[in-house]
Amino acid sequence: MTRSYYWLILGLSIPAFLWLLPTLWMVSLSFQPNEVLARTTSSTFFGLVPLPFTAENYSALFAFGQTPWWFLNSLIVSVGMTLGVLAVSTTAGYALARLDFPFKTPLTIICLIGLMVPEQAVFIPLYTMFADFGWHNSYHALILPRMAVPIGVFLMLQFFRAIPKDIEEAARLDGVGWLQIFWYIMLPLARPAMMTLAILTFLYAWNDYLWPLVSAQQREYFTITLGLASIQSNFAQSEGLGRVMASGVIASLPVVILFLIFQRYVVQAMTAGGSKG
Amino acid sequence: MQDLKASKKRMSQTQAAWLLLAPFLLTYGLFLVYPFFRGFWISLHDWNLLAVAFNPDAKEFIGLRNYERVMWGRNIEWGFASPFWQGLGVLGLAASAYLRRVDRLSRFNAIALGVASLLLVVLPGFHPGEEGRWYDRRFWPTVGNTLLFVALAVPGVTISALFLAAALNGETRAMGVLRTLFFLSQVLSVTVVTLIWQIMFSPRQGLIANITETFGGIPINWLTDEQFAMAAIVIATIWWSLGIAMILFLAGLQDISKDIYEAAALDNAKGVKAFWFVTLPNLQRTITLVVVLQIILHFQVFGQSHLMTQGGPNDTTQVLVRYIYQTGFRDSELGRASAMAVFLFVIMGTFSVIQFIIGREKE
Repeated sequence: MTRSYYWLILGLSIPAFLWLLPTLWMVSLSFQPNEVLARTTSSTFFGLVPLPFTAENYSALFAFGQTPWWFLNSLIVSVGMTLGVLAVSTTAGYALARLDFPFKTPLTIICLIGLMVPEQAVFIPLYTMFADFGWHNSYHALILPRMAVPIGVFLMLQFFRAIPKDIEEAARLDGVGWLQIFWYIMLPLARPAMMTLAILTFLYAWNDYLWPLVSAQQREYFTITLGLASIQSNFAQSEGLGRVMASGVIASLPVVILFLIFQRYVVQAMTAGGSKG
Repeated sequence: MQDLKASKKRMSQTQAAWLLLAPFLLTYGLFLVYPFFRGFWISLHDWNLLAVAFNPDAKEFIGLRNYERVMWGRNIEWGFASPFWQGLGVLGLAASAYLRRVDRLSRFNAIALGVASLLLVVLPGFHPGEEGRWYDRRFWPTVGNTLLFVALAVPGVTISALFLAAALNGETRAMGVLRTLFFLSQVLSVTVVTLIWQIMFSPRQGLIANITETFGGIPINWLTDEQFAMAAIVIATIWWSLGIAMILFLAGLQDISKDIYEAAALDNAKGVKAFWFVTLPNLQRTITLVVVLQIILHFQVFGQSHLMTQGGPNDTTQVLVRYIYQTGFRDSELGRASAMAVFLFVIMGTFSVIQFIIGREKE
């Protein structure tokens, strides 16, 4: 390692620390007493060190308030959406990539052209549809629209296309049916791609804001993202800064842990997703 | 394999395909294709959310009137009304022609720059003439704010991500840790990001204000000052979405072969020189892709404006998606909101097509 390398690392550590600063500050504030925060947010070293220290904000969150409930909602919606997207995407992706049937090419184009349609272009008609069905304020209302987004089909289709043909052909010669090939041979092979898609979907579900905002109007069906938005507008008056920050930390914990454990997959997923869409 | 054979049913390939496709086609048709066309349908109606909810017949078909109400006005004329933007457009046209001539831009990028400049010459030229007015005075300024947001956030993200990627393109542990630190904020939700930055920017409690005061400065009221509100949400956005751009650039850098750098090093091109003469030209397509992706992403901005500034002060951070949301769900005018959503789709769709073309070229 050359000397310029160490200078580079040292030089980049400063912006990297600055980048981390806002997050650190949130965590630090969440461990400080509300009475102190009402007076000043820069007790020790600009408030970056949580002194005076308290864990009361977190215990208060679980004692009163709806944060644990919202957290649970988010978990249900995110897991449900992930399983749903995996189910419809692997099946459709496999059929479009590996099977021969009439109208396959036009059907593939029709399926993938939906990639062009942003969520914001359909959320109003979706809202009226779900209102007609009387579906708002329910878990399925939060989950279903994402299952129609073809990004998962696109990812699985690309993955299945890259698998060599002879694997299937050998099984076919043994007389194995198409559905069995899909279930017993292709799905196990597809685990890495499914993992990427699962993480992409989970991140999206956990962080989604616009659709829950219009669909879930009752606080019992808020996701944590939505709930946090509802308490942040009046943080100073009601809940106290420390508690709102603690909610923010709780809301971020699952995705940050997911990211730190499965970093490679998360990076792959976000690259594949192109954006947060 | 024996039990597989035993349990196999006689099913043709076509049947299997349709069976496997059915779940996706069902949700796709019901929750994307149908709503998409229904959105057009709604945009052709005078459709009040509450009235139609009580009585499904309370909507009235009015053709394209909603589009007119949103985008047009009385006595609209065209002329050189805003010299700055139109002048910039003329400059852009000249620049694209010149850069193409000296071969610093790919043909694709030159055309893109040219079309964008042409739009800059044409669009700001529309203005209400004497006794005229826009039917919706807020719509075009809102579009303008959205474009300004895109114009600030996209270069901000792209340039910083490009430099970071070039600097952190290595296999060492330290570089990996630094990459992780820069990427971390990317996985947070928009509400967490806005929560953090709302308080960061607060003139009374904010970290920025605290530091400014310590050094004897006067804290700025970022979020309620017309001059700084847009800058504030742009800063929060750059902080939030730098990671994905950096990762895309890193992937692009991996594709440049080491040989080119070695050859360049023989010609004494190292460090900054190598970056300018080797990295940048070889990365041009990735840069275009990242820019287009960022445009698509940031054009949909909603949460930052909705949660940090509520579109204010004085509408300076009002953006298109927030205006659609408000028109639809606060003012209950679903017809007009849908017309704006169609407008949004046309713009985003155009950029999606461009993204698709670039992706194709890359293969």
